[in-house]
Amino acid sequence: MEMLFFTVLNRGKANAVLHQAKEYGAAGGTIFYGTGTVQSKLMEKMGLTETHKEILMISATDQLCDDLHKILSENLNFSKRNKGIAFTIPFRRWKPKDFEQGQEKTTNRMEPPYFCIMTIIDKGRSRDCVKAARAAGARGGTIIHGRGAGIPTDFYFPLVIEPQKDIVMIVTTKDKVTSIREKIISDLELEKAGNGIIFILPVIKASGLFENRLEERKGVTP
Amino acid sequence: MNLLFEKTKEVTQTLFPVVLLVLLLCFTVVDVETDVILRFVIGGLLLLIGLSVFLWGVELSMNSIGEHMSREIATSKSIYKIAFLSFLLGFLITVAEPDLLILGSQIENASGGTLGSTLIVYIVSVGVGVMISLGVFRLLRNKPLNVFMTITYGIIFALAILVAEEFLAISFDASGATTGALTTPFVLAISLGMSKVTGGKQSEENSFGLVGIMSAGPILSIMLLSILTGQKNIHGEAVEFVAAEGVFSPIINALPHIFFESLMALLPIVILFFSFNFLKFKLKKDELSDIIKGLILTLLGLVLFLTGVNSGFMDMGRLIGMQMADTNHWLLIIVGFALGLIVVLVEPAVHVLGEQIEEVTGGHIPNKIIRITLSLGVAMAITLSMVRILVPEVKLWYFIVPGFIIALILSYRVDPIFVGIAFDAGGVASGPMTATFVLAFAQGAADVVETANVLVDGFGVIAMVAMAPVFSIMILGTAFRHKKVAYPDIDDKTVITPALVEEEDELVHNCIMVVVNRGFADKVVDLARQSGAKGATILHGRGTGEYGKLMIPIINFELQPEKEIILLVTGIHVSEQVANNLVNHSKLHEDGEVEVYISPTEAMIKNVYDDKAVDLVGSES
Repeated sequence: MEMLFFTVLNRGKANAVLHQAKEYGAAGGTIFYGTGTVQSKLMEKMGLTETHKEILMISATDQLCDDLHKILSENLNFSKRNKGIAFTIPFRRWKPKDFEQGQEKTTNRMEPPYFCIMTIIDKGRSRDCVKAARAAGARGGTIIHGRGAGIPTDFYFPLVIEPQKDIVMIVTTKDKVTSIREKIISDLELEKAGNGIIFILPVIKASGLFENRLEERKGVTP
Repeated sequence: MNLLFEKTKEVTQTLFPVVLLVLLLCFTVVDVETDVILRFVIGGLLLLIGLSVFLWGVELSMNSIGEHMSREIATSKSIYKIAFLSFLLGFLITVAEPDLLILGSQIENASGGTLGSTLIVYIVSVGVGVMISLGVFRLLRNKPLNVFMTITYGIIFALAILVAEEFLAISFDASGATTGALTTPFVLAISLGMSKVTGGKQSEENSFGLVGIMSAGPILSIMLLSILTGQKNIHGEAVEFVAAEGVFSPIINALPHIFFESLMALLPIVILFFSFNFLKFKLKKDELSDIIKGLILTLLGLVLFLTGVNSGFMDMGRLIGMQMADTNHWLLIIVGFALGLIVVLVEPAVHVLGEQIEEVTGGHIPNKIIRITLSLGVAMAITLSMVRILVPEVKLWYFIVPGFIIALILSYRVDPIFVGIAFDAGGVASGPMTATFVLAFAQGAADVVETANVLVDGFGVIAMVAMAPVFSIMILGTAFRHKKVAYPDIDDKTVITPALVEEEDELVHNCIMVVVNRGFADKVVDLARQSGAKGATILHGRGTGEYGKLMIPIINFELQPEKEIILLVTGIHVSEQVANNLVNHSKLHEDGEVEVYISPTEAMIKNVYDDKAVDLVGSES
């Protein structure tokens, strides 16, 4: 089964990782920029709220995904803080021939151990979103800048205003996902129309998360 | 890795070669006093701290200020307001530029007092204001930049015939003087913000070019001034050069003066922003406090940077220039080349521009390659300037005019984004490092060479440094040329209204992620909407696919084509329809290299009723 392998890395690392992934058989990848969040209060006071990140997305089979998880964890020291994370989302590649096969639905409802919460909101509100998520137990998030599809408007020049959007991506464990979601919805008033949307994607496997490190530590000292 | 650390690392990497080269020269061929060497090292240290802090501050404050200001301008409903606001912006940031004041008094001296320095400052500022105004109109109207620049430089060259050679050099230098350490990042941010607001297919290429347009303003105004007042000749000599003495005292003495100048330069931006914030934006506390922090850091960094450069680097540059010209002419040319290669990378605005290019193109045009190109361009410029100082028969316009003409011709053959980047790079490269260190180096050389005139030949260097990047980036642009692709028109026939599954009270959603070549995102959204999707969010990235590699010849550099990633959240009843339509669209498939991924998702709209759910997703659009 084909899936999408995501990894969030410090900026500048993605090319090397993609190169490595290709050696293991990945066909290609897509890279885009994001910013990570900073933990320390002091840093935040000084205005150091952002770290530059790169997000690499590789379409791969589950075997390859497992390999990639292993390689990255070893090579990039994911066991340490702020080195990066990787996770797999079961995105199905849609091919033209699926048209004939048609209605084959995703039958097996999986019980994924992690979830990826995606919140799409107006630009500038991403920090509030991360704050809300933190309050509900998330460790941090990755912010990606994007734009909404355009709407023509009536100013002096016939501009197509493209609203700037922030996408906040938070990977978390199953037990926290509901509380984080509820907190974000209530804090950012997402129940009101036009304030943004939130959706949750299943994550089959993740490495480099705070929770991963916790597990490891437990493993060492039983 | 946090931001400050990142910046410091970046600055160290670029500063290190400069310090190394200069120290190497000091211990081998150039004989300088220990005082000057020590001061140079301390200056380098100040520069390192200053530039890192400055870049950090700029990142925190300038982009948001630029974005808010440009939104205010672009969304005006009256043409006069747009014209007035953008003129004001250009005028205010230029009138406070310390470099321009210095240039003004230099011209006043040179012209024997007939042209007052205040007059020059105002005239140049008006020139910049008008050009920014025109540039903003060009951007909003989406007129091609290469045509605009051809007309502008056409006028400049026509005027150049009437102007004496000395004034030719001075007017090109004036453009270097106005694109200072502060104005350039600010105008870059305005340009970026404006293109973000206006959006559209040209949004990417419109993110650049305003600095280039702006720097044509001073050239035009000084030329006009010289023609109108009939001022032809420059006489007078530069002030006798005396190297400052002591290690710390020159640095400390320079500090208050530089602090005052930097504050003056920053003030118009601050006042403009806060009065607008008070009247219009009313930003939230969080964002505002970030901007204030950023502005303070910017000021602090700028003061340290300029102090380091002025007191540590200028004398050193002068001495190296003098002694090189004295000993061996070939060595002078070689050292000029080497300095050009590395000094330009220490320019503050080069860092800002490089990062902005990466950000805008999603990494498709890497910072690294822009830097290499800039280095080579400026190195050529300084080498040629040295030749010009040594050989009096070689005139400035021998290089400037053909350089710009070739660049303009190339501008019709490159990817449009490179036109903007190239002309911006000219303004960006001729920043404070060039205006102090490189200029001092050239003046030192001209001082010793008898046939050269310190004033005229010294001035020409900045003009050369401002021209060379335009030329070299255009050449780079030809390597990046894309296959011209006709974007597909979506005809209305393909609309297949999905059977609305209204009986389902719990709407299950799918997340569709579409990866497509740059420029096709809007078509994907159109197509998806016709098939029943509501809203979409578009990201910008780069990628390598299964479709073979693009290589730049000679340097063997792999190009990663730009991609757009479209996120759609659709009800499960339409998602297959959307996916099928996207995958089966032949144009999208061939030229757009479309890839579609689907995953079930649990959207927030779960327990809200259908109508509202649609509304919520629709609000994305």
